[in-house]
Amino acid sequence: MTAPPLLQTKSLTKRYGSVNVLSDVTMHARDGEIHALVGANGAGKSTLCKIISGLVPASGGTMKFDGNDYRPENKQSSESVGIQIVQQELNLIGTLSVAENLFLTRLPNRGGVLRGRDLHHQARAVLDRFGLTAIETHTAVESLGVGHQQMVEIATALARDCRLLILDEPTAALTGRESQQLFEHLRRLRDEGVGIIYISHRLDEVASLSDRITILRDGRFVETRDTASMTTDEMIALMSGEEAAGQIAEHQTYRRDEIAMRVRQITSGFVNDVSFDVRRGERFGITGLIGSGRTELLRAIFGADVATAGEVELTDVKDGQLFSHPADAVAAGLAMVTEDRKQNGLLLSQSIITNTTLCSLRPQFSRGGLLRIGDEERIASSMVTNLETHCEHIDQSVGTLSGGNQQKIAIAKWLVHDAEVFLFDEPTRGIDVAARRRIYRLIESLAKNDKACVIVSSDLEELLETCDAIAVMCDGKMVETFQRDKWSREKIMQASFSGYVS
Amino acid sequence: MSTQRFKRRGLLSAGLIIGLISFGSCSSDSGSPTTVGSGDSSAAKPRIALIMKSLANEFFSTMAEGAEAHQSAHANQYDLVVNGIKDERDLSRQVALVEEMVASGVDAIVIAPADSKALVPALRRAKAAGIVVVNIDNQLDQDVLKQENVTIPFVGPDNLAGARKVGDFLGNELEGSDRKVAVLEGIRTSFNAQQRLKGFEASMAEAGIEIVDSQSAEWEMSKANTIASSMLSEHPEISAILAANDSMALGAIAAVKSAGLSDKVKIVGFDNITAIQAAIKEGKVLATADQHGDQLAVFGIEVALNELAGEAAGDDIETPVDLVTKQTLSAK
Amino acid sequence: MESRKDHAGFVLRVRFVKQSKWLQIGIQYGGLIAVLALLIAVFSACSKNFLQPATLLTIANQIPDLTFLAVGMTLVLIVGGIDLSVGSLLALSSAILGVLMANYGWPIWAAFGIAMLVAGLCGTINGAISVGWGIPSFIVTLGMLEIARGATKVVTSSQSVYIGSQVEWFGQPIASLRLSPAFLIAVLAVIVGQFVLTRTVFGRYCVAIGTNKEAVRMSGIRATPYAIAVFAISGLMCGMAGLAQTSRLSTADPNGAVGIELAAIAACVIGGTSLMGGRGSVVSSFIGVLIIQVLQTGLAQIGVSDANKQIITGSVIVLAVLLDALRNRLSHRS
Repeated sequence: MTAPPLLQTKSLTKRYGSVNVLSDVTMHARDGEIHALVGANGAGKSTLCKIISGLVPASGGTMKFDGNDYRPENKQSSESVGIQIVQQELNLIGTLSVAENLFLTRLPNRGGVLRGRDLHHQARAVLDRFGLTAIETHTAVESLGVGHQQMVEIATALARDCRLLILDEPTAALTGRESQQLFEHLRRLRDEGVGIIYISHRLDEVASLSDRITILRDGRFVETRDTASMTTDEMIALMSGEEAAGQIAEHQTYRRDEIAMRVRQITSGFVNDVSFDVRRGERFGITGLIGSGRTELLRAIFGADVATAGEVELTDVKDGQLFSHPADAVAAGLAMVTEDRKQNGLLLSQSIITNTTLCSLRPQFSRGGLLRIGDEERIASSMVTNLETHCEHIDQSVGTLSGGNQQKIAIAKWLVHDAEVFLFDEPTRGIDVAARRRIYRLIESLAKNDKACVIVSSDLEELLETCDAIAVMCDGKMVETFQRDKWSREKIMQASFSGYVS
Repeated sequence: MSTQRFKRRGLLSAGLIIGLISFGSCSSDSGSPTTVGSGDSSAAKPRIALIMKSLANEFFSTMAEGAEAHQSAHANQYDLVVNGIKDERDLSRQVALVEEMVASGVDAIVIAPADSKALVPALRRAKAAGIVVVNIDNQLDQDVLKQENVTIPFVGPDNLAGARKVGDFLGNELEGSDRKVAVLEGIRTSFNAQQRLKGFEASMAEAGIEIVDSQSAEWEMSKANTIASSMLSEHPEISAILAANDSMALGAIAAVKSAGLSDKVKIVGFDNITAIQAAIKEGKVLATADQHGDQLAVFGIEVALNELAGEAAGDDIETPVDLVTKQTLSAK
Repeated sequence: MESRKDHAGFVLRVRFVKQSKWLQIGIQYGGLIAVLALLIAVFSACSKNFLQPATLLTIANQIPDLTFLAVGMTLVLIVGGIDLSVGSLLALSSAILGVLMANYGWPIWAAFGIAMLVAGLCGTINGAISVGWGIPSFIVTLGMLEIARGATKVVTSSQSVYIGSQVEWFGQPIASLRLSPAFLIAVLAVIVGQFVLTRTVFGRYCVAIGTNKEAVRMSGIRATPYAIAVFAISGLMCGMAGLAQTSRLSTADPNGAVGIELAAIAACVIGGTSLMGGRGSVVSSFIGVLIIQVLQTGLAQIGVSDANKQIITGSVIVLAVLLDALRNRLSHRS
């Protein structure tokens, strides 16, 4: 240890009002290593990275970069020393093209006039180097799927020269194959001497990718250790401050024979002729690569997009039909927890109460059009307690909660409303282990109460753990459905890729 | 740290508000020399409120300046508060001004009403509160006054007669037998606009000239320009445009010029604003009428002072309207 | 394990204690009331006639029309729209009222009924086109601004219509109270508006729609009728404002209320209503109206020159909004 570490923080502290979100964090990251940063939601990982990259000022403490005092005032000053950050939230401008986003801060120009050909040429090179040959540089970013947007965002940071790269949950929206591409690229960068700080909830990823791990808990530094010397159970124990109980419970099925929802030949845009049945008490998983049409299928069933053909039949409603508005689907007994909770799941600037009761205001919380505010408060409080949602008070706006707690609210509003069939689209995307466990338990209790659950997820482990059956989508079609006793990872992966080979 | 910074900024902006307002009140002290602020308004010295139309209009700002000059010459006799409205159409605000002046306890109101009907009830209430009211510039509607059972002395020019003077002069200048003209009217709800239109129509009828088109350009230059342009393309045969005020006449000059008809089409206006005098000297405008705006408010104030001094409310007073042409200008 | 759960439950319960109501009200309205008090203090210092019952009652009786408009505008802004047609709709309903009463001899209630009907219909058209077809309300209501103004001129033949005492009572103070019926009803509209916004399903949906329309749709709620209803309400408020202004002037003025939409929007924004939707309060907008009117009356009483009046008014509007933004950030931090 003759050379100073690449980045050193000493007693970093961040206060918002009287709340300490980060206290006294001292750690260091070396060049040429992948340094994982793990901790439950709200542990301070993102805040730490925002301070390092100059996005928020520290309330106390010092930093050294490359042996020199380092005190970033904004993102530009951190970039000037060679620090790049890819944040959890996408920072792309939807209406601009992929190429323009890639080079937004340094568009090739001559006297202010864009040089389009150079731009697209350079963008092409960056994307190709990253294995994104399928993405057109002229495409507007908003027309890409979330997964591809994430890849473009990462490529944007990688396109610049950097010495320290910070990635905050980069794989949340990526499929396994895309994640693997990313990891290869990160290892290559590490070997070139770049320091990488990597935040992820996926502990298996962390274990296989990183060299060292720093664990944070409640805004405090817990420990830094070599990855090789730690198991994932130990990580969880350090993160939660207690020994991990055998978390993976024995799977128990609550599936009954009675069919809760029959989906017949749904065709909607990219989704092509999909049929399946879900039984009462069944947890039915749907997986597939990004772009295989999973979300589109759920939206068509729920009436969020109008399907061109097919029908959905619920037991309580005799005739099959196509829903033309989510209101019809909800009336028939459907509920849908959406993939992007910020875009269409929650009212971020509104309170926990408002969000929790939104779906059920008319039937449950009003009389003659007047709100029964006492009831609202009571139910919202009990939901917060039941789902172990961490918040200051129930008047707090949902936008101030962490991702996992936001997701709990997004689910709570449907629990309050009640339904026969619950559609979950990526129910645990970007949330920590503890919250994830809570949501699995929740889905299980729904099943126990004879509700049917359809769960779409990119995280195969999640489906393997929770579901009774897993259907695989590929290229807009549902190619195969596996029962719990007959499935294997290999078979499911093969089915996922079936449309793309031969 | 940042919280402190915000607090400091909050204080700063609060300070700014106070500063601005005191700047406002100070500037009012210096701007209009005698106001409520002058504190020494004893019972012996009456306060008069002058309520104008838009002070952005040169005609009314001249009027206000005349009144202020008169007040500073007679500072020992009365105090003056001058208020105007944003534009000629904001009559709701003008009614509010009357009510506010009544509330602030002035002794007399001299008003150039933005609307000849709508102001009557408010002025009736002002009179009922014991305030002397004098009407200047734009005469209140006689029927409504009768209906409201109130008499308010009018001090001002006879717009109809003034418009006739201008119209007659134009009639003599136009030659030939088949003569056609167009009229740019003011806002149609305004009494002045109606009177001027009547004056124009009377002279044209007498001279046997046909009015082929008559539209309102709402006293505004740019609107007059647009409307005059379309009139000229619709009726290329017209030989003159009669504008109900000088601003509109100026708008018409540009329209005539861009239509390439400068030699053929003659223009007359009304009000004798500064800008029009140059145009008359250059021959672009044939004539206008001068109603001696700078003295108008002063006449009104004098009537109010007389009534305050105990004289009986007088009859209407007609102020002179003079024809202004190239000859009269060069004679000066 | 059991004890840990209990502990967690306890902690959670303690944390859920809501802020006291008075503290909330203090935080919500404190800044605005401070601005208002400051203005009143400054004008009282400048003119001894200002802080008199006569002046304050004059102010009260002048604000009904703007208050009605601000109530409707607040709701429209909350659902994420904007209504530029309010000034013209005010003039149109005033014109209908005037012509039916003065020229056709209708009784006030019948004429007022027709005026409300037309104003409500125009508002509904605004809503149906902008919400139903997804066209920005800015442009739809801008169109309605022109259409309604034109219709006003047609109805009145561009003449102001004098009505007289049949309508005057509504805008003139009741002797015993010294306040006009128009003012009392306007205050009632503010109270009802605030109640609807905070205590009814309709109000809650309005806030939700303005916050995130797509999330509302995905919650299984049909948002369109609610959003259209908000524009209809704004139209009806124009009808009320039309009656208030007509009665104050005893005259229907086809050129009246030009540009008043900007004053209404300013009042709402001073009151902290977001132009982006999802946030606003009818009571705060009403305080915004008071700030604008106090400023206007105060400046007129001091006799500030016209140019300075405009400069000061503009500055106070910007500063009031700035102060509110600062208050917001401070309360977020603490």
